[in-house]
Amino acid sequence: MTVVSMQTIAGKPAGPMRRALGRFFSNRAALVGLVIFVPMLLAVVTYPLWWPYGPNAIDLTALNKGPSAKHWFGSDGVGRDVLARLLQGGRTSLMVAVVSVAISTVIGFVVGAFAAFGGRFVDGISMRLVDLAMTLPPVIFLLVLASIAGTGIAPTILVIALLSWPVLSRMVRARLLELRERDFVVAARGMGAGVGHLLFRHGLPNSIDIIVVYATLQIANAVLLEAGLSFLGLGIAPPEASWGNMLNSARSAAVLEHFPWQWMFPGAALVLTVLAINFIGDGLRDAFDPRSDLN
Amino acid sequence: MRRRDFTQGLAFTAALMLGSSALPLPAFAQDKTITGGFDVGPGGFPKNFNPLAATAGFMWLKTYFEPLVIYNADLSALEGALAKSFTVSDDQKTYTFALVSESWHDGKPFTSADVKFTLDLARNKASGSVFAARLASIASVETPDDHTAVVTLSKADGSLLSILAQVMMLPAHALADIAPESLATSQWWSTTPIGTGPFKFSRYVTDQYVELAASDSYRGGRPKVGKLINRYFENAAAAVSALRAGEIQFTYVEPDDAKTFDGDNNFRVIKGDSYVVNYIGFNQKVDLWKDVRVRQAVMYAIDRNAIIQSLYGGAATAANCGYVAPHLVPEGLNDYAYDPEKAKALLAEAGWDKINGDKPITWLTYYGTPQAANVMAAVQAMLAQVGINVVPRVVDTPTYNGIVYKQDDPDWSQFPLVYAGLQNGPNPAGINVGLNKSQLPPAGANIMRVEFDDLSAAFDAALGETDASKVDGRWQEVCRVMNAELPWATMWVASRYGVASTKLVDFVWTPAPAGGPYADHPERWDLK
Amino acid sequence: MLIYLLRRAGVGLLMLLALSVLVFLLLRLTPGDPVSAYINPSAPISPEALAELRTRLGLDQPLPVQYLAWLRAALTGDFGYSIQRGGAAVLPLVIERIGPTALLMGCALVIAVVVGIATGIVSAVRRNSGLDVALSVIASLGVSSPAFLTALLGLYFFSVLLHIAPSGGMLTPGVPFSFGDLFAHLILPACLLSIGYLALIMRYMRASLLEVLNQDYVRTARAKGVKEFWVIVKHATRNALLPVITLIGSTIGVAIGGAIFLESVFNWPGMGLLLVNAVNSRDYPVIMCATLIIGACVIAVNLLTDLAYAAIDPRIQVAS
Repeated sequence: MTVVSMQTIAGKPAGPMRRALGRFFSNRAALVGLVIFVPMLLAVVTYPLWWPYGPNAIDLTALNKGPSAKHWFGSDGVGRDVLARLLQGGRTSLMVAVVSVAISTVIGFVVGAFAAFGGRFVDGISMRLVDLAMTLPPVIFLLVLASIAGTGIAPTILVIALLSWPVLSRMVRARLLELRERDFVVAARGMGAGVGHLLFRHGLPNSIDIIVVYATLQIANAVLLEAGLSFLGLGIAPPEASWGNMLNSARSAAVLEHFPWQWMFPGAALVLTVLAINFIGDGLRDAFDPRSDLN
Repeated sequence: MRRRDFTQGLAFTAALMLGSSALPLPAFAQDKTITGGFDVGPGGFPKNFNPLAATAGFMWLKTYFEPLVIYNADLSALEGALAKSFTVSDDQKTYTFALVSESWHDGKPFTSADVKFTLDLARNKASGSVFAARLASIASVETPDDHTAVVTLSKADGSLLSILAQVMMLPAHALADIAPESLATSQWWSTTPIGTGPFKFSRYVTDQYVELAASDSYRGGRPKVGKLINRYFENAAAAVSALRAGEIQFTYVEPDDAKTFDGDNNFRVIKGDSYVVNYIGFNQKVDLWKDVRVRQAVMYAIDRNAIIQSLYGGAATAANCGYVAPHLVPEGLNDYAYDPEKAKALLAEAGWDKINGDKPITWLTYYGTPQAANVMAAVQAMLAQVGINVVPRVVDTPTYNGIVYKQDDPDWSQFPLVYAGLQNGPNPAGINVGLNKSQLPPAGANIMRVEFDDLSAAFDAALGETDASKVDGRWQEVCRVMNAELPWATMWVASRYGVASTKLVDFVWTPAPAGGPYADHPERWDLK
Repeated sequence: MLIYLLRRAGVGLLMLLALSVLVFLLLRLTPGDPVSAYINPSAPISPEALAELRTRLGLDQPLPVQYLAWLRAALTGDFGYSIQRGGAAVLPLVIERIGPTALLMGCALVIAVVVGIATGIVSAVRRNSGLDVALSVIASLGVSSPAFLTALLGLYFFSVLLHIAPSGGMLTPGVPFSFGDLFAHLILPACLLSIGYLALIMRYMRASLLEVLNQDYVRTARAKGVKEFWVIVKHATRNALLPVITLIGSTIGVAIGGAIFLESVFNWPGMGLLLVNAVNSRDYPVIMCATLIIGACVIAVNLLTDLAYAAIDPRIQVAS
């Protein structure tokens, strides 16, 4: 839970965006999140520049070696460097998360906005669709979808994106339904504004806060989903590294019991990243929530 | 709060349901019980109770059903089971079985009528029998008297006995009233089956375990333990945990897990030949592998010995053809010793950069174990060194089969290269189904669409050989052709492992393909 | 009220119908069918020999024919038989699994709700204290850890290292049923399953209670001299529970999902395990029946949540 700032931004009148940023940066948990996440992101992006091992470089003479000065996080069952795989896995996991969230955000916004502006019929149809998507337990949907789409980066992105949009579309719809009856929108419609105009001139700016918060928190969810899928062997397939499929190796009793560095490090990286993103997301949510100043 | 009432109500209802489904047990409580994960691993077929539908799991089925003949425990020869002896006519077309005196678990005698009933049923496709095609050479089954059964073939079939070893005898008096069509979905198999084996069926707790009780009248003597329990596990790792926790006394284990039991006095690691040759299959329908030099380059590029030493801990034998058994491997084979320079030269000669260059090639497999992932990563790295860029793709077995057996308009680009295994023993004819041009799907399992004339001729000659002294030479010829023409890049035959508690006495297990069956004499198993 | 219930039930049935079409289509698009699950790649049977089986299962019929045949049978309560298990009828098989899953989820929910609400209250009352910060950090960790990771860790520590919990399953095979045995198998997976949920409930409870504590009626109660304890228990908590109840109801599907991972790591014989297995062997009838039953449960729980919500908060009229 975030610790909300007691400080009110007094003095000169600031814009809502600036006030939100001010609230965000005075939120301790969110700062902790940034302090964890930014170096992690940097390391993941820049690792080929400073780490001598590649994620797929095998070494059959150094199998299952524990952490040492040479291999900081040890080596795995084919002698690959665990740190290199962890960082490459971070690239994969974060890339999958970001791209899938981008796709699901677009779908979620468009469906939600159409439902709100498109009239009763479109609304009814799209919301029943959303209900249907939410009735199926996500993991089951995931299982079936993943076995159709196959393993690999693109199918995993697709599966996660297809799973996550309904929640956002509901939130966007709720927000825009309220908006629809407001004078300036009614006026715009009266003057014959097209759907595109309504969507992007009125819909987007008025739901940008929900979208930003949703997208941030959903990235954390997507990282977890990817890990879960890969853990079940349905996501990113080896030898491509991802945190999920590194954890999958712990399903072998030998790795679980005797080579814990092969799964504990990726496990810790996963939990820390998700934690940091959640902190940041919570911070953003509180920052965008005007009521949080009252607390 | 309503909400809490609701959840508690749920939990309470669930507890009631569980309570009512737990039946009181028969009074064997003081008797010894052996519990194992007998259907774990590649030889197992959990949740299948119908021997006619079994493609594996025979080791367990054989504890309460029995076949006519059976492999001995090291799979080197066939011996009698429900047939105390058998004779084969000179033209290899008439098999005469002399039956033992045994009774079914309900007390009725086992007779030749049961043999005829079972074999007729197994040959009848409508019963859902997976043996129908393999028993197609049987022309008739006759029963001159209660203790003699005569099987007449339409043409000689050297594989007949090894197939009969997997056909469990079924009681005619219990099953004759059920139409063959509804037999496959009958409840009988998992509720009240009767066999002739040392144990009799007592109950099945759906998807959890099967419990058997000793059959007092078994001809080999009353079993030494009162109960035998086969517990189902989702994966080999769960079974290993249960073994370590002392909940079970035996299970199949993955090779990596087997190492962790080394030197532990509480457990005995049992190692055996898998009889499965692993290979990299070249899809002959794609243009990548037409040139034999490319296939040779793949062999030279892979350091099989290094992989066997490090990833298999030495527990595998490099295969230079489909066989590794000494009597099937001729002298003077090319051993394709690791030589990446030679591989590069061969690729250059063949013009690999024009054929494919460094474009990624999908490498399909159904092997989902961590060890297989490691092996494939190693091979991928080695092939990359000589300029062949393969990308492993792991799918589950149904997906794999769905792709490689697709009949109308198969998508060759989905499997230009596969990593797979095929049974090469105890009967060497096992790999025929994957390499002979007569076995192209749907007739057989020649999924790589190998149509090499001299290889097919070598297989046909070996299968048709009726002179026992010449058979090995014929299979050696198959091996020689495989080694020269490389329809597959043959990798190795690995060992498989089981781990038994040292409390188990006289326990016999071997990782036989499909679980055997083999003469493991469950009636002698005991618990210290 | 009755009309409302009938309408909700009608919508629910339509959703189930749509769900069945969706799952049916998804399944047929999945590569590999039940028959191909039958072929052991290392000891293959010829596909020709399996054609008979495919015909018998009706898999060679056009898709609409197959679906209508399934639907016609399903409407009479006949969900077919499990292909993987030969003879077993699907409906009893699936119904048998509801008990264990409900038991596991029920226990996890009870733990999560009781502990989550209690710690949430403590955290809110002792706001910004060391305890609050500690609890908040633990809760954040709980929300951020995937179920399979906690399951692995739990199995590793309690079962493999410490030998104090069974390695999996629901009852010890071959031993007469006893509640002690059931409890021993239940406690570890239930606790692990409750972690993520507990953390979520605690966070919601804390936030919601903090908000309620600022409301006028709470101030009034305090001003009247009601003891702080009773203020929190009687006035604040009751109202703070509302969002928590919605949360529980709306995430029940997610909870079933989490149960799948737990069931697969702990070999717990519930719906999740049944379904994962059925997907792996393409056991179409089992997948259809199980998803429909899970879907029906989710719909029913959502309805119950709305009713419970209305019962607690008199301002809400269900009929609207």
